[in-house]
Amino acid sequence: MKSRINKYLLALGLMLSLLTLNSQTVMAHGEKALEPFIRMRTIQWYDVQWSKQKFNVNEEISVTGKFHVAEDWPISVPKPEASFLNISTPGPVLIRTERYLNGKPFMNSVALQPGGDYDFKVVLKGRLPGHYHIHPFFNLKDAGQVMGPGIWLDIEGDAADFTNDVKIINGETINMETYGLSNGIFWHVFWGLLATAWLLWWVRRPLFIARYRMLQAGLDDELITHKDRLIAKALMVGVPLLVYASYVMTTRQYPNTIPLQASMDQILPLPAEVNAGVVNVETLKAEYSVPKRALSLTVKINNNSEKPVHIVEFSTANVGFYNKALPLPDSGNSEPVLAVEGLSLSTIEAIKPGEEKTMTITAEDAFWETEKLDGLTRDADSRVGGLLFLADDTGKRYISSISAAIIPKFN
Amino acid sequence: MSVDLSSRSFRPYTGEKARITRAYDYLILVLALFLFIGSFHLHFALTVGDWDFWVDWKDRQWWPLITPLMGITFPAAVQAVMWEKFRLPLGATLCIACLSIGTWIARIFAYHYWNYFPINMVLPSTMLPSALVLDAILMLSNSLTVTAIFGGSLFALLFYPANWPIFGMFHVPIEYGNGQMTVADLLGFEYIRTGMPEYLRIIERGTLRTYGQYATPLSAFCSALLCTLMYTLWWYIGKWFATVRYLTKI
Ligand SMILES: [Cu+2]
Repeated sequence: MKSRINKYLLALGLMLSLLTLNSQTVMAHGEKALEPFIRMRTIQWYDVQWSKQKFNVNEEISVTGKFHVAEDWPISVPKPEASFLNISTPGPVLIRTERYLNGKPFMNSVALQPGGDYDFKVVLKGRLPGHYHIHPFFNLKDAGQVMGPGIWLDIEGDAADFTNDVKIINGETINMETYGLSNGIFWHVFWGLLATAWLLWWVRRPLFIARYRMLQAGLDDELITHKDRLIAKALMVGVPLLVYASYVMTTRQYPNTIPLQASMDQILPLPAEVNAGVVNVETLKAEYSVPKRALSLTVKINNNSEKPVHIVEFSTANVGFYNKALPLPDSGNSEPVLAVEGLSLSTIEAIKPGEEKTMTITAEDAFWETEKLDGLTRDADSRVGGLLFLADDTGKRYISSISAAIIPKFN
Repeated sequence: MSVDLSSRSFRPYTGEKARITRAYDYLILVLALFLFIGSFHLHFALTVGDWDFWVDWKDRQWWPLITPLMGITFPAAVQAVMWEKFRLPLGATLCIACLSIGTWIARIFAYHYWNYFPINMVLPSTMLPSALVLDAILMLSNSLTVTAIFGGSLFALLFYPANWPIFGMFHVPIEYGNGQMTVADLLGFEYIRTGMPEYLRIIERGTLRTYGQYATPLSAFCSALLCTLMYTLWWYIGKWFATVRYLTKI
């Protein structure tokens, strides 16, 4: 009976410990899990590109891209005071060797500024062969994970070829995969043997029932012999001495150690790329039609540039709605979710220099539902957010952020 | 006590009876081994957790404070039973050895083979020296108070120096990304953990920091004091757990 309970407990314990371990890998594909207003109005990704999709173990690739931190940051989401640009992978199948934010090395976490524009670059090195769906994403402290667009990567070759050598400050090169491993095993074995000897010293004699009976009979003295006491005294003095000696030895061998580093990086936003002030867009109204699965935005566009501009794309939560009247631009390998039905405009004429024009943009597509963005109309914070891309004939791009309360149309 | 045996009438078991009690010893030992490997390891994973999992969480303040404090719990309870009922001074060593076995199994299979982390990034810490001293002090003193105060304190104080030979070399600096970081920090940066961003690390934080370089000894002494209390608490939990109320004849 007892053993069965123990087995159940053990099984339960193992299951629980595996569950806690595994929760990390499971989360990798929670890209649609967060409420739509968080995905639309926190980190607004664009221009995400991968240098390669097929590469070998040991080969380095990079992912670059830009993001705008929404001005209209949801009130219920903590401000991005500690943010960590991460890569969603099923464990370290790739290693991250370098990471940059606005061209500056970015090793820790950083405070992002709402309204700020950033570009990033992450260098990754293939470690385990396989076919993986990978996203750049932001871990936002107390808020969760905001996913960037995903892509399929193929790592080829042999895992055994992987090397990761790094130079430490005294010029020595170390292998990160095995550094300190045999030394660590040595100390575990060393103390393990001593502990085993102590346990065997006792286990070799009759244990529970025999000793319990003797103890109840008042024969304490016979249970602990003179030799036992001698060994215990040796342990009590010897173990601390050994610990001290090994500690001193280590400090002599590694005199220049530093504590774990726990600082934040300080990186300021780039000069404004979104809402840069040349072409201004004001969102007057946003309506979402539930039966049509269509978002209609009424916007007032003010063109202060010297050339006529036209609307190219509306992008929100990694879904891109492209202007139907234009050919689909080449978006490289970034694989954002492309809304097939695209974007229809109330007027197809370009906005002339100096002109102010009010128009309606309609983004109609089943993606509102499949990407789980339509929940917006039933949220406590029912505001829509995204980026509107405009361009002139030379291809010069103007980006504006869209933000408005949403009004549902149920029929 | 419900069992009454006097020293004058005491006869040790012989023959078949002795063999059966010996078989019973082994049965209990094996069961205890599995129970402690499972339960203590789980308890440890849930309480010390990331401080014990990751090399870049083993800082000067929280790691030497939390680990012994949570590590002394089961040893105290098992010592209470093993010593009070059987005069066996091996409770702490047995528990910590079981914990080490469970931890190594998890690190190799769950972390390395299943989640691909290099083992050096998830090396467990050791509390075996602490446990050996705790057992020795209990045996020599035969006193809860002495063991709680001296044994509990030594359990905590020995932790950091006993683990520095394993983890010290992970603290050598590397110049990386226009700054310095330890080998441990770089392992944390390079080997991607999607659910463990850097800012989640609870390291080098808190008021102890105002003592600068002396953070570790202060942390260890703070842990020593708390271990004394924790030891006493868990001793009574162990004692309460191992009732002989239903044992009438032996
Ligand atoms: Cu994906």
